[in-house]
Amino acid sequence: MKKHKRLKKVYLLLLAFCFAFTLNAQQKTVTGTVTSETDNMPLPGVNVIVKGTTTGASTDFDGNYSINIEGSAAELSFSYIGYVSKTITIGNQSKINVALAEDVSALEEVVVVGYGARKKSDLTGAVSSVKAEELSAFPVLNAEQALQGRAAGVVVQSNNGGEPGAPINIKIRGNTSINASSSPLIVVDGFVGASMPQPNDIQSMEVLKDASATAIYGSRGSNGVVLVTTKKGKSGKLSIEINSNYATQTTGDKLDLLNADEFAAYQQLRNPSYVQGTEDTDWQELLYKTGHTQNHQFSFSGGSDNINFYASANYFEQAGVIVNSDYEKMTFLSNIDAQVTDKLKLGFNLFGSRATKNGVSTQSTGETANGGGDDVISLLVRFSPDLGIFDENGDYTVNSVGDNVDNPYAVATERVNETKSDRYRANLYANYDIIENFTFKTTFGYSTFNENVGTYIPKTLLITDGGNNGTAEINNRQSTTLLSENYLTYKTAIGKGDLTLLGGYSYQKNTTTRFSAGVQNLIDDDFSFYNLSGGDTPLIPDSSIVESEIQSQFGRINYDYDDKYLITATVRRDGASNFASNEKYAIFPSGAIGWKISNEDFLIDHETISNLKLRASYGLTGNQAIDSYQSLAKFDNINGLYGGSVVNAVVPDQAANDDLKWETSYQTNVGIDLGLFNSKISLSLDYYNIDTKDLLMEDGSQAQYLGFLTAASLRNVGEVNNQGFEISLNTRNITNDNFTWTTDFNWATNKNEFKKLLNGQDVFLNAAPSYLSLGGSTHVLREGEAIGVFYGYEYRGVYDGTNIPEGTAVFNGAVAGDALYTDVADASGNSDGLINTDDQKIIGDPNPDWTLGINNNFSYKDFDLNIFFQGVQGGEIYNLTKLQANVGDSNTTRDVLDAWSPTNTDSNIPTVSGVRRSTSRFVEDGSYIRLKNIALGYNLPANITEKLGLDNLRLSVSAQNLLTFTSYSGLDPEVSYSGSGGSSDSKANTTQGFDFGNYPTVKSVTMSLNVKF
Amino acid sequence: MKTYKYLFLLIGLSMISCSDLEEEPVGLLSPTTYFTSLDKLQVAVNGAYGYMHNRFFLTRETGLTLMLRSDMVEISDPNTRQERIDHDEFTDLDDNGQTLVSWPIMYQIVAAANQAIAGAETVDADEAEINAIVAQAYFARALAYYHLVRQFGDIPYLSEPVTNVEEANNIEKTAVADVYANIIADFTFAKTWLPLTQDKRSIPSAGAASSYLASVYLTMGDYPMAYAEAKDVISKKNIYGYDLEPDFQNLFNSSVVRDSKEPIFTLDYIGDTSLGNYSTDYLVPLTGIRADNQYGSGQEGWAVTVPPLKAYTTWDDNDYRKSVSFDATGVFNGVERAYNQPPTAQELIDDADSQGGFNAVDARNKNQPYCAKYTRFRGESGGNGRASSHAYLLMRYAEVLLIAAEAANEVTPGSQEAHDWVNEVRGRARDGAAGSTPSASPADVSGLSGATFTDMVLEERRLELAFELKRWYDIARRKLGSEVFSASGLEGAKSFSEDNYLLAIPEVEQERNPNL
Repeated sequence: MKKHKRLKKVYLLLLAFCFAFTLNAQQKTVTGTVTSETDNMPLPGVNVIVKGTTTGASTDFDGNYSINIEGSAAELSFSYIGYVSKTITIGNQSKINVALAEDVSALEEVVVVGYGARKKSDLTGAVSSVKAEELSAFPVLNAEQALQGRAAGVVVQSNNGGEPGAPINIKIRGNTSINASSSPLIVVDGFVGASMPQPNDIQSMEVLKDASATAIYGSRGSNGVVLVTTKKGKSGKLSIEINSNYATQTTGDKLDLLNADEFAAYQQLRNPSYVQGTEDTDWQELLYKTGHTQNHQFSFSGGSDNINFYASANYFEQAGVIVNSDYEKMTFLSNIDAQVTDKLKLGFNLFGSRATKNGVSTQSTGETANGGGDDVISLLVRFSPDLGIFDENGDYTVNSVGDNVDNPYAVATERVNETKSDRYRANLYANYDIIENFTFKTTFGYSTFNENVGTYIPKTLLITDGGNNGTAEINNRQSTTLLSENYLTYKTAIGKGDLTLLGGYSYQKNTTTRFSAGVQNLIDDDFSFYNLSGGDTPLIPDSSIVESEIQSQFGRINYDYDDKYLITATVRRDGASNFASNEKYAIFPSGAIGWKISNEDFLIDHETISNLKLRASYGLTGNQAIDSYQSLAKFDNINGLYGGSVVNAVVPDQAANDDLKWETSYQTNVGIDLGLFNSKISLSLDYYNIDTKDLLMEDGSQAQYLGFLTAASLRNVGEVNNQGFEISLNTRNITNDNFTWTTDFNWATNKNEFKKLLNGQDVFLNAAPSYLSLGGSTHVLREGEAIGVFYGYEYRGVYDGTNIPEGTAVFNGAVAGDALYTDVADASGNSDGLINTDDQKIIGDPNPDWTLGINNNFSYKDFDLNIFFQGVQGGEIYNLTKLQANVGDSNTTRDVLDAWSPTNTDSNIPTVSGVRRSTSRFVEDGSYIRLKNIALGYNLPANITEKLGLDNLRLSVSAQNLLTFTSYSGLDPEVSYSGSGGSSDSKANTTQGFDFGNYPTVKSVTMSLNVKF
Repeated sequence: MKTYKYLFLLIGLSMISCSDLEEEPVGLLSPTTYFTSLDKLQVAVNGAYGYMHNRFFLTRETGLTLMLRSDMVEISDPNTRQERIDHDEFTDLDDNGQTLVSWPIMYQIVAAANQAIAGAETVDADEAEINAIVAQAYFARALAYYHLVRQFGDIPYLSEPVTNVEEANNIEKTAVADVYANIIADFTFAKTWLPLTQDKRSIPSAGAASSYLASVYLTMGDYPMAYAEAKDVISKKNIYGYDLEPDFQNLFNSSVVRDSKEPIFTLDYIGDTSLGNYSTDYLVPLTGIRADNQYGSGQEGWAVTVPPLKAYTTWDDNDYRKSVSFDATGVFNGVERAYNQPPTAQELIDDADSQGGFNAVDARNKNQPYCAKYTRFRGESGGNGRASSHAYLLMRYAEVLLIAAEAANEVTPGSQEAHDWVNEVRGRARDGAAGSTPSASPADVSGLSGATFTDMVLEERRLELAFELKRWYDIARRKLGSEVFSASGLEGAKSFSEDNYLLAIPEVEQERNPNL
């Protein structure tokens, strides 16, 4: 056997020798070095081809090549991406050194747009680009976060402060909807509706803002579109990169709460028989801890002439700043592109991730648990500081005031709340050049998202458990998306103009299945949710499937005349299964023009103005506000009692609504791009106006005697207007050999206003958790006002028992120390001298006046420094935490010690009344400026890295959220309470600016290492 | 050749079928495809009864309205919700919160029944089998409209599932007489097709439909028909399996009431709270005494309602039904205390004005005996006294006897059988608890006629059916308001006018349909 193998090798050698010998007879060898003309650095991976043959070689790491040439061959061709190709006559030379010039046209930034790419200078729409360098300027937990403050008009916010694994909301150009999502469409490498990849894997992100850019996404375009392009391999040398960072995290602040003695004294004022507990517990101190994140990424990429690849693996881990909250995620990405023939290119993208989140329960709406006893954050404030973790029986303590709730430590550590989610996405494409400049591209993609949420409430939580002896539940969701897109692109020159035509067809199908199961009365807490048969009281299990389909035709015309006049027109026709039967298809057209004034004769050689372009666009986009089956007549199972047992009981839920349709935004955008001093200064200004019509609103005008289970039906009735102005300014302040300083500045303002509500009627909403039993509403939707303005009584100071200043009044039966409120006059201008529900008014607006991002980059030799400020002006915050703590049935902030009393009549803080009301006393200015990031980086000098065998080694240290300038008295002005007030009347879009039970935003210090070799 | 290969590849990738975009939901209950079997028809019928057990109906909101408007129940906790106080004091307006939720629940029962009745037409099965099931839906629809018409008078009447919302949203009201005609038709259908008996009294039988018919005729003042119908039930009592329960207490004892022959139609609770509003009844805590743990710790009442003191003091002490209907003592922190117990020394130190009794323990209590029909033998219960395993008696045999007596007297004043039926009820009361020595009272009645008899039988109903949600309807149908709410009434003088016999249809509903 062994012998046989060896023999084979000998034959092979012989064969190779013969072959080499025959070739050698007709050959000579040419060697040389290829360098870059700009910096004389060697270029690795340059293609060297003997012209007219298939013989080729590529340069090595030092730019050297060696190629065998047949006698008759005359020329060598050198080509490299981003450089102008060169052809050299060989003649008698055996050593040919070549310097390649950078290709200026290729250097011009290319921006990805829907179903294609455009030179940035040829854009007619409003598009913000964020490049890999900016994404990696400082460590972020996810790619969405990296957009914060980067692009004008793009607002990015965590759903729940610094909670590990909290989802991130992106909002582009304001709120265009009430009941439907206001989140943009995410498109990753052409996959519509994909999830965000890891930031380190992203080559660029384009934020499409105006209708000219987004209308090609039709009924999903009205909230803007974020196009994400992941990194691809480059021909040439294999590149390996390692990114590692570790950050420690702390809560920004703690609330200044009463200690045990102060608390007992405070309670005894209300209830003289209150007996002080024996402990003195700082619950915040007990639950907040130093958290950390770490992220490690390993990637390798490269390619040959025909095949490029990029592959990466990423591990992220976070331990939150509250005990028992953590998150872990592993991500894999692989991109392969193959030039199969001259005409055919194939590619395959693969993405996979697994995330595990162990959460503590926060942002409770109080719907499910008794008295919001499942909300760890608000319990920190509510729970009595004079109690310890355990009582004398060794049981977890229960609050001594207010609602019966378990202590926050018990809730945080004993409740199990684990979410495991898997995502996979595969996308295959083929690109075929039918003839020159006429290309067919087809993609086929499939993605899955599986999520499993397991929760367990143990018996040890005496109150939360409520005598159920343990409650274990599992909720599972599986979603799949299938996407097929096919489109043709044709480019041709017509006279002095270039025409590009695009036309295509797309089909997408989404399927989501769910099931849930649960049980109570478990034998043992140790089972958690992993042994549902370990309990003998099953909860009613549930399962469902939801399918939806979209099929679309789309097209685009670009015509550029003489590189001066640009015209873009797009159209998409979407048909969606979830649209009602009378409104199955929707058409979304758009048009835009651009004028490159700087290319006109009178400006072309201007010394100062290097770029000047005017843009204008108008178009229609949609929002798929309708859920699947929402327009169909439906029954529902209410599971009722009959005949002495629980039975299935089917009842009419809703009638068919055949006219339900998408929401449409009519958007106008006017912009100007200006470049000065050879684009050392570039400025973009954009103004937009978006009229969104046919907003879906709950219509309570359906009489209840119709007897449907769901009383309100949806109708396309609302209208909202958003208009705004955006400035984006990039300057290269100083550029010389050793020192550069660049500044990116963006500023945006948006004003939104309801133009039309159902029958012009106000919609009153209550965002407060249900257990606050807040009488009345916290916010209102009103024609002529912005979305989600706060509503309640206007606080006017403390009533001294005798004087009621002009324009104010008190509630019936008020005594000294109670609050004064504005006595709102009725329609005929009369005030009734008493405060009642008629005296409620708008008391604040959560919508900011403007948002700001300033990013400064300095580099000096091998050092670089990034300083990034982000700010918001004018958005008000409704401090529900403070409202909750000012009623007396909980602990409270120390400022209550200064409340009005007969001996302290100078105070502006009323005595604790025991009644919760929505008042302006708890509405505060939420403006802030925040040092989002400061990062110092150091790149090891080339001579050292070379010795180490590395391409590059970078170390950096950075700090996030280090400084915040704000007058807001709560924990953090970046609030994100998404509560629902315990009823279904509240939607995330309208619940803005509330601060309650929010996982705290964190400060972090990060060490990072980046190695390339 | 090679090119073709790639073309195939491209075509392969791009080949995705075109869709018609029609939604074909799986697992979703669609009206057009739902009704395929008798079992599924029954599940649709269950919808109406599921709603009937919802708290918004008789076991909380609607029930409170009926109790509080009567002269047998008043407000205990002075700070309880205004919407309750308003019903007690007849100051309720067309935005009363209690009415806002009781109005829709009754129409939801109607809608579920309508859906089942219409769906039955598409079920492919033997007509008799279909009718036996769908007759339950007729019964439920009639029951819901019977409550609606007595509370609101002229009402929108729907007899089919709503498919055209616009049209249904703008209908005119139907006159009381026409509503009653429909109710009679539905109960008659139910009587025709329902089995003579059912396994459970919470499932309507022909006897239940017949008993309700008698009640409807009585309410309409059609005494000959009421007499005939009630007498028909009485004559078939062995067929239907009806009789008086020997021990009156057993009717309000959740562990034995289901074995009794007396219940004719009940709401059947099982001590469950897992379905929320659909399985939790609240009559127990609403009528119970605050801080009273005679029925267990955590089972204290909420003292929302209390019978007026005169309802207790005017009731013959020797009438066994009085002790079944009231709790005159409670147990507070392990110490028994009567409703009228003088204040302790400590209580007088804490509050010089203390009146002792239940009130000294909790300010929300009044110093009056509380209703015990629901609190005493509640069976399985949830936290804070929520939920019970009561079979609430919406119709029982004693009421049929009293309907028959009242109607008989109208048809033939002072007839012997009218007396006999009342005395049958009184006799059971005299018998007292099982095994005890019968009491002398309430004594048999004799020699009454006309209005005197009517007054007597209405009083008998007030006592026999106390707190069973019947009294307000009696006051309204017999127009007793000016009398029972006068200064000599049980609650003392109350501001009452003829308008108060009917509730206002909620204003919001009138805005939705201006034709109401």
